Amino acid sequence: MTETVISVSNLVKSYSDLKAVDDISFSINKGEVFSLLGPNGAGKTTTVEILEGVRNRTSGDVRVLGQDPERSKSLIYKLGILPQDFSFIYNSTPKEALNFYKRTLRASTDLDEILTMVDLSDKGSTPFQKMSGGQKQKLGLALSMVNDPEILFLDEPTSGLDPRARRNIWNVIKTLKAKGKSILLTTHYLEEAELLADRVAIMNKGEIIDSGTPMEIIERHHEDDRLIIRGDGEVSALLTTGGYKFEREGAYIKINMKNIKDATQIINYLYERKAKFEDFTLKRESLEDVFVRMVGEIEEDEAE
Amino acid sequence: MKPSRVSAYFILHAKSYMRSRSALFFQIAFPVILILLFGAIFSGSSYSPSTLIVQNESPSAISWEVVDAINSSGLFKVQVIGANQNISDYINSHSIQAALLIPSNFTTNYAYGYGLLILKGHTNPTVASADYQTINGILTQLNFKASNASEKLILSSQVALGNSGKTINFYVPGLIGFTVLSTMFNMVYTVPNYRRERLFRQLSFSGLTKSEWITANMLFSFLMLVLSDIVLVAIGIFVFGASLTLNIETILASALIIFGGLVFFTSVGILAGLVSDNEETVSVVGNLVMFPMMFLSGVFFPLNFAPAYLVTISKFLPLTYFINSLISVLDYGNISAVTLQIVWLLLGSAILFAVAVKLFSWKQK
Ligand SMILES: Nc1ncnc2c1ncn2[C@@H]1O[C@H](COP(=O)(O)OP(=O)(O)OP(=O)(O)O)[C@@H](O)[C@H]1O
Ligand SMILES: [Mg+2]
Repeated sequence: MTETVISVSNLVKSYSDLKAVDDISFSINKGEVFSLLGPNGAGKTTTVEILEGVRNRTSGDVRVLGQDPERSKSLIYKLGILPQDFSFIYNSTPKEALNFYKRTLRASTDLDEILTMVDLSDKGSTPFQKMSGGQKQKLGLALSMVNDPEILFLDEPTSGLDPRARRNIWNVIKTLKAKGKSILLTTHYLEEAELLADRVAIMNKGEIIDSGTPMEIIERHHEDDRLIIRGDGEVSALLTTGGYKFEREGAYIKINMKNIKDATQIINYLYERKAKFEDFTLKRESLEDVFVRMVGEIEEDEAE
Repeated sequence: MKPSRVSAYFILHAKSYMRSRSALFFQIAFPVILILLFGAIFSGSSYSPSTLIVQNESPSAISWEVVDAINSSGLFKVQVIGANQNISDYINSHSIQAALLIPSNFTTNYAYGYGLLILKGHTNPTVASADYQTINGILTQLNFKASNASEKLILSSQVALGNSGKTINFYVPGLIGFTVLSTMFNMVYTVPNYRRERLFRQLSFSGLTKSEWITANMLFSFLMLVLSDIVLVAIGIFVFGASLTLNIETILASALIIFGGLVFFTSVGILAGLVSDNEETVSVVGNLVMFPMMFLSGVFFPLNFAPAYLVTISKFLPLTYFINSLISVLDYGNISAVTLQIVWLLLGSAILFAVAVKLFSWKQK
């Protein structure tokens, strides 16, 4: 039986006339990585901070490990939190910071191990103000793991990191998941969600506009698969003769297909006629494509 | 309130503080520089006892005994003027700081239980002015010597006196006041800074509460104050020969005053920090609170030379009472004269502290 660790029902958060979170509901199971996606200002951070107990909600019900984060004082011992725009006392070092959380949260974790995990072992004694943006972010992640929490809230853990550091953080998240931790991850990087999340919810303007596994969302919203051929005018002439619809963009010819198997047919057709084309790619929409279109469509609808 | 969390934050704070050169400068080096400066400037005048003009309109055994006691204290050179002179005119024509009048009814009144002496000078006196305190101290000794316990010799003042504390004695308590005041400035900067960086949110993830945060901060400040004030007193005594009354009682009383001042100014600092939400208002609010207090409370110069309206303003500034109490305790060993002021300081601090904690919220809106 799956155990629910977070449940949110009809959550609303208003700032005077703005509804930052507008009646959303979702739940997260134990051991699951759940990702909140959405454009800037969608209400992701607001939602996460309500779950952390940092902000009070306007209405609706929220349970984290069965408790109300607005009231519970003991919940903090079971949560690991990396806030968006993480910052720390500018003269403190990572070791001092980790020790502080270890003492206050009565944890027994090996701090060197955590530093190694986030690849900060050589920065353990560097004052916070002298660390780079990415190193600071890694410290934030390290701090969220000190108490070996049951649930982690990671609000944009990889923003501002270089590609290697991002992969490093992804590995940390995978390790945490393997240990059975439940993780609420917000991100702007769709491939990150696709890679790490069991389920995602797409937020826009305070509402959840869709949720499910990344595959489900792509299935629901993706448009035609697409064959892209690099070729000259001769190729396009042949395609016209063959009755194929296409669009040209510079050196690229784009053909939309209902079925991905149609691609073989088109390539064979061109090959038999000895058309000169350099290469071709088959493209299936990513979560990112779907996401950009979904959010874009809503904006267009509203503009009308 | 969990002591373990308070101590964990105390350690975190202490380590980061020790790494901050500017904090260390203002806490330790700056007051030391000031006392070296003031000490060098005023050390010349620190030994000569000032002259005290005495007019005795009620010659008797007891009145002369009082005059003798003052003279033999070594704190004043007593100069007696004839009973036929007008003492007020004498003060003005000779530009005298202090003159003591023993009124004609003194001996009679003393027999009834209260002998009133009057201190005169240029401006309106404060109870804590140095001459008043000194003479009062001598009278207290006399009262003690008298077999019956009730106070018979009472000093009243009509016009204020110049302060004989143009000496290092005066500046030691003043600079201690300055060190306490600077803890307020710490808060004025820290609170908006921590809010902007959202450090209170980050700290709350450890379970730390705002009262624990304030407590740890104050404990650390108190430790730093004790250290820097010991340095100040030591320099005052060993470098400039300040004569301070140091015994268990005065040291404990001073610690109490410093603690009261610390709680008071930390609370003021938190409140001021709450008002200022950006970089610019921080320094405006900080300076607005700090500088008038620093200059008008007698940290840097004795107020007895200031015009009456400034003296009036100074009466509304908490630092004034704080420094007056310290002067009375440290310079004159006179705790009883300022007991009420100390009680007020502690009471006011407690109230203000409660208000500051109440208004100081860690939650986001
Ligand atoms: N304290 C506040 N007062 C008023 N409005 C606020 C406050 N905090 C957030 N908002 C508004 O609420 C909305 C949602 O903000 P939120 O930070 O939750 O977005 P987000 O999805 O996390 O965006 P991003 O991807 O940029 O981090 C925004 O329109 C924001 O302007
Ligand atoms: Mg956000």
